[in-house]
Amino acid sequence: MNSLHTYLFIALVLFCIGLFGLLKRRSLIGMLISVELMLNGAGLNFMAFNRFLAPDPAVGQVAVLFIMGIAAAEAAIALSLILALFRKIRSVNVEQARQLKG
Amino acid sequence: MAGDLLLFLPEAACLLMALALFGLSLPRVQDQRRVHSWTMGLSLVMVAAGLAGLFQEGSLFFEAYRVDLFSQFFKLLLAVALFLVLSICRQLTGVEERYQPEFFLFLTTCTLGMMLMVSAVELMTLYVALELSSFSLYILVPLRSGDNIDVEAGVKYLFIGITASCVMLFGMSYIFGAVHSTYLAKIAATLPLWIHQPGAVIGLLLTLSGLLFKLAAFPFHFWAPDVYQGAANQVTTYIATASKAAAVALLIRLTALSAGTSLYLLDVLMALCVASMTLGNLAAMVQSDLKRMLAYSSVAHAGYVLMGVLTMTRLGYSSAMFYSLAYMVMNFAAFMVVVKVASGGQDLKISDLAGLHRRAPLLALTLMLALFSLAGIPPTVGFTGKFLVFAAAMQDGHFWLVLVGMINATLSLYYYLMVIKAAYLAEPAGPREALAVSGPTRALNYALIAAMVYLGLFPRQVLELAEQAVRNIF
Repeated sequence: MNSLHTYLFIALVLFCIGLFGLLKRRSLIGMLISVELMLNGAGLNFMAFNRFLAPDPAVGQVAVLFIMGIAAAEAAIALSLILALFRKIRSVNVEQARQLKG
Repeated sequence: MAGDLLLFLPEAACLLMALALFGLSLPRVQDQRRVHSWTMGLSLVMVAAGLAGLFQEGSLFFEAYRVDLFSQFFKLLLAVALFLVLSICRQLTGVEERYQPEFFLFLTTCTLGMMLMVSAVELMTLYVALELSSFSLYILVPLRSGDNIDVEAGVKYLFIGITASCVMLFGMSYIFGAVHSTYLAKIAATLPLWIHQPGAVIGLLLTLSGLLFKLAAFPFHFWAPDVYQGAANQVTTYIATASKAAAVALLIRLTALSAGTSLYLLDVLMALCVASMTLGNLAAMVQSDLKRMLAYSSVAHAGYVLMGVLTMTRLGYSSAMFYSLAYMVMNFAAFMVVVKVASGGQDLKISDLAGLHRRAPLLALTLMLALFSLAGIPPTVGFTGKFLVFAAAMQDGHFWLVLVGMINATLSLYYYLMVIKAAYLAEPAGPREALAVSGPTRALNYALIAAMVYLGLFPRQVLELAEQAVRNIF
């Protein structure tokens, strides 16, 4: 097993933990953390491919910087929405928010 | 330099409009009328910029951004969609007054994101543009005033959306691993080398899933009914028209990469197409809320568009482009009636339409034509669009797919006719006063009716433009 495969495996595990957490967690904060894990799995993939395979070493790094920036913006929006929901139903548990049928 | 600016004209206009709206949102006290007239004026400038830039060609930002007829067609479509949506925002009853400039601002940044998206030919550019438009929508959905369902819908939309974008990003990382480049041109050139690696095919499929979310196609459709119901009527109109068109554009660009080389991809797309059509139509039948019904019908329409896309031929792509234009016009017409009838910004039950033909004959007529068009009855634009898409799929040898599509179109007639029945035949429970239809609304109605019939009877010009545009992306 060479080291590229190790990194890819770790990234996949991160992604799967995130996906599992997203489906399992009932608290919106927990779900947000899970999403961040998934994003970092993708970021790790970019870095690993970049380090071991890509001819131009800048591309993957730039990609990861963009991913980090977008993740920050996403967290800001998600937290503000969670806060807005908390003000209305006094809870961050998704089980409590069930007015919509879908 | 001046030439480059000309290439970037529609986006530059959009950016300026966003900046101007940001400025307008700063004062503590705002004059709503003034803000709205400014917004309308600026968006008219944007439509003009879109028209002026229609036949530009070139590339910008280290080849990451391509301007061609294909992208400009969709940019013009988006500018027109924004203008139309803004034109029904004069009485913005669904949104708190102090947030209205922000409301216009986020609609504009969302359009900007979509404009960047249809021109992006590099994966990171595409991702950032997609997120710009998605993030604006995440904020727009919970801006509705009143009960809690808006925030709930917003949270739901946000979490499903960011999950879809994570999946998409993960797929992109595999494509990057296979190709070692993020440029779509490079990906297409080296495609025969890696398309048989399972990892790369998975990567491509995961990448497509982000777009299927935007389009509300089958496995990613479940946000649609809740978001359509929970968001303010104007925002729903925007999501149902502009955001669909941009998703179709991107789907065409990405599937064109693998044209005819991957059977897996074709099989998956066919399965999704059938599932979207059938599920959307069946679920739409049992809805009593008009917006939820239109949401499920949009899932079904995503299936029809996919049918054109999955042929991966020029004819299929140009008919899918025509269909997205048709869908924009007819869906906007239907939602415009929803916005006007629900003048207090509330949700509308189908039964609330009772007696509409007497309360507002013109709105009832527009609604009827829009729904006939959505169902695909000649001589409307919906019929022509469906006919073109089905014909393209037939020519590519997908007989069964077309058959399923036909059956679905017939099924959909049921629930569209139910709405028309409510508007024309049902008697309202109590006396309802007539709806006042203002002069500009009247003009908008006539324009929409004319557009639906004209494009239905004479699709040639638009279709030729679409065919010419598709030639650029192969």
